[in-house]
Amino acid sequence: MSWRDRPALAGFALYLAVALLPLAASLVYGGLYSLGIAGLLAPGATLAYWSRTLSSPELWSALAYSVYIAAAVVGLAVALALTLALLLRDRLGAGWLSGVLLLPMALPGAVAGFVIFQTLTAAGVVGRWVAAAGLPALTNDRPGLGIILAHLLTAVPFFTLLFAQVADSERLTEFTALARTLGAGRVQRLRRVALPLMLRGASSSIWLVFVVVMGSYEIPLLLGRQTPEMISVLALRKYAMYDLTQKPEAFVVAILYTLVTAGLVTLVMAPGDRKGGRAA
Amino acid sequence: MAALGVGAACLLPILFLVIRSEPGRWAAFWRADPGLTGSLAVSLAISTMVALMATAVGWTAGRFVAYHRRRRALLLLAYVPFVISPVVAGVCLLYFYIRIGLSGGVTGVVAAQLLFAMGFAIVFFQGFWNEEKRALEDLARTLGSTPAQIYGRVLLPISRPMLMLCFFQTFLVSWFQYGLTLLIGSGRVRTLPLKVYDYLGEANVAYAALGSCLLVAPAAAVLWGGRWLLARGTRDVS
Repeated sequence: MSWRDRPALAGFALYLAVALLPLAASLVYGGLYSLGIAGLLAPGATLAYWSRTLSSPELWSALAYSVYIAAAVVGLAVALALTLALLLRDRLGAGWLSGVLLLPMALPGAVAGFVIFQTLTAAGVVGRWVAAAGLPALTNDRPGLGIILAHLLTAVPFFTLLFAQVADSERLTEFTALARTLGAGRVQRLRRVALPLMLRGASSSIWLVFVVVMGSYEIPLLLGRQTPEMISVLALRKYAMYDLTQKPEAFVVAILYTLVTAGLVTLVMAPGDRKGGRAA
Repeated sequence: MAALGVGAACLLPILFLVIRSEPGRWAAFWRADPGLTGSLAVSLAISTMVALMATAVGWTAGRFVAYHRRRRALLLLAYVPFVISPVVAGVCLLYFYIRIGLSGGVTGVVAAQLLFAMGFAIVFFQGFWNEEKRALEDLARTLGSTPAQIYGRVLLPISRPMLMLCFFQTFLVSWFQYGLTLLIGSGRVRTLPLKVYDYLGEANVAYAALGSCLLVAPAAAVLWGGRWLLARGTRDVS
């Protein structure tokens, strides 16, 4: 290895030592715990916890609910943000609007949840009108509208700015002008040029937001309900239970969730990096 | 008109928080609960430490990944922390941290948050370490620079805006962290997001709103600072 690679190698080694090694060790420990080999009250190697968790509707409903919430948030946020980015493209450069759009992104999950809770709960500013109109509650509700809205609060501005940036870097203006010259109509320019360019440019971020929302904790803790509940809430609830026999099941949930998201990220990231490595 | 509507929609949550926090009574609230100052200080200290270390590691490790012939595989390793929900990771990590004596303290929380911030920082620098930077290094070496001179006089100065931007971003990664801090800190490390949740649990809306304002203000400043840095960087390049 040449001299110039040593500090870089040291940095990567530090990442391995501080981040990946503890994470790998803890996952191995979680795996052993879930198999009854390690941990408190370990009964010895058994698949009982796995079979009990896998046959429990609780796990599958939590997993399905997490996927539903993530899909709803990403789908709505992308649709809204695409509309805004296309409508306001000229104003999203260095103007005041892009500065203001950063504001909701400064809301942590706990705060976004708090704002939505205070607004939409039965005693909240909007919630009172909703209750008076005889409509169902918007927080702690089965469809998770409160959870979705809290995530949208930060996701829509994020995607709007991202799409505006992608439109710039992918030279959307030039391509749409070219399409118009070649006779493409308004809808064709949108469907065949603008949307594919912007969605392709932002695809990695879209999937990463999907994974982040799927694993979110603070917002569903505040705005969700116990049945169905999101996967992080289920994992921590099982882990924190006084009943120690629930702990191995918490690890089963954690490992299953990790496998699902790892598979998803590998699928998404691997084909996106076709250029491969550069010569060292 | 649409722009004004979007702008108003973005400002509404912030205005709501400010109004609900009863700004006229901030001083009284502050005096009444010294824990708020403590939480703010702990949050600032943890986020600053995490951001400093993650930026340093991300800068060097990002360079290693970007120039490596197995870039794709190494980049996937950097994405590993993204894969795992902080709470799920916390559930698995807690026992490990208890065994090595890191749970329930600031050091443990910093170490756990670094796990996520470092991965983020490595991915952040992937666009920065490119052929242009390599050409500059090669040029400096051809002109007789030592390795230390290349780092100190070439790479560091050209990296400064990106280093600051990465510092800001990783600061936010840590600043927003709730579940991991709750688990690894074992309830003893009371950062600002945890304090806000305490107030919410007590149905103490005004204090929760004040805590939220304290959480949002530095985050907004950091995001605006990053935007200003990016704009300045673009201007310098052009």
